[in-house]
Amino acid sequence: MAEAINATLRTEFGKGAARRARRANLIPAVLYGHGTDPVHLALPSHETFLILKATSNALLELSFDGNSETALVKSVQKDVVTNDIEHIDLLLLRRGEKVNVEVSVVTEGESAPGTIHSVELQSLAVESLAIAIPTHIVVSVEGLEDGTVVRVSDLQLPEGTTTEVDPETPVVVISVPHLEEELEELEAENALGTDAASDEAPAEESDEA
Amino acid sequence: MLIPRRTKHRKQHHPKRRGAATGGTAISFGEFGIQAVEGGYLTNRQIESARIAMTRHIKRGGKVWINIYPDRPLTKKPAETRMGSGKGSVEWWIANIKPGRVLFELAGVPEPLAREAMRRAQHKLPMKTRFVRREGGDI
Repeated sequence: MAEAINATLRTEFGKGAARRARRANLIPAVLYGHGTDPVHLALPSHETFLILKATSNALLELSFDGNSETALVKSVQKDVVTNDIEHIDLLLLRRGEKVNVEVSVVTEGESAPGTIHSVELQSLAVESLAIAIPTHIVVSVEGLEDGTVVRVSDLQLPEGTTTEVDPETPVVVISVPHLEEELEELEAENALGTDAASDEAPAEESDEA
Repeated sequence: MLIPRRTKHRKQHHPKRRGAATGGTAISFGEFGIQAVEGGYLTNRQIESARIAMTRHIKRGGKVWINIYPDRPLTKKPAETRMGSGKGSVEWWIANIKPGRVLFELAGVPEPLAREAMRRAQHKLPMKTRFVRREGGDI
């Protein structure tokens, strides 16, 4: 369901204004879509953070300047060190509209003893009704044996959600991990191979031609 | 130890240390990761040392990814040498790390084990780092 949030219209632009807004606990945002002119907004920082913490494909019911619009969070810019939200792109939605979004793949359960599961496809591109976007796609790895590959065609997508990703694409692979000693043996073999190769050819090319 | 097989030029200037990472800031392959909070030069020896610390702790189980590569040579002149007479010889191979860069990733182990393995690896690194989780992950 859409989360209600009160936004304010931004009247000043540029990095100075954006920084002033961030200092006032507001997040600069832009709302666009369906050929309309972009609307520059400022969202309350903490409320927005809490909504985006729960799901990355959040649906917002924006109230600003006497208007009310439904929007999908299309892109979030974050500071890579502090994780503070710096800017949000919002996509305007119409009633009954379908959207293309990336939904994260999560695993459930434990694979067979002695095996590990590796998530090859971290997120899946799906088409879904805007009001029914799944928060994640669950893949059960309970009891799966070594060599099992869960493919896109094996996924149980929620009703109304489709994907155009190749059905043969692997999503989760179950394998037996190597021991540290086995890895070291493999590395030693590789090192011997590379030493032999480096004896035959110089390791680097001279730039003093 | 990670080292380039061949290089276009034998010696380079020191890499720039300004700014934050613009790519490789999120976990791409595994479930857990070590993210740099500070910038710095990371040598191939330090990368190898951290990798060994991590893999020794997780024993059988888990898969480790190294997201960085030490492709920059750093030179050093010998001790008690007068200035001049050309640039010194290559002493280290380093990866130029910017704040926010995910250095290592790990998957296939429970979180407490991953945290401990990565804590041991973090001690081998010359900059401040933190443990990060992939959004989503296991239920």
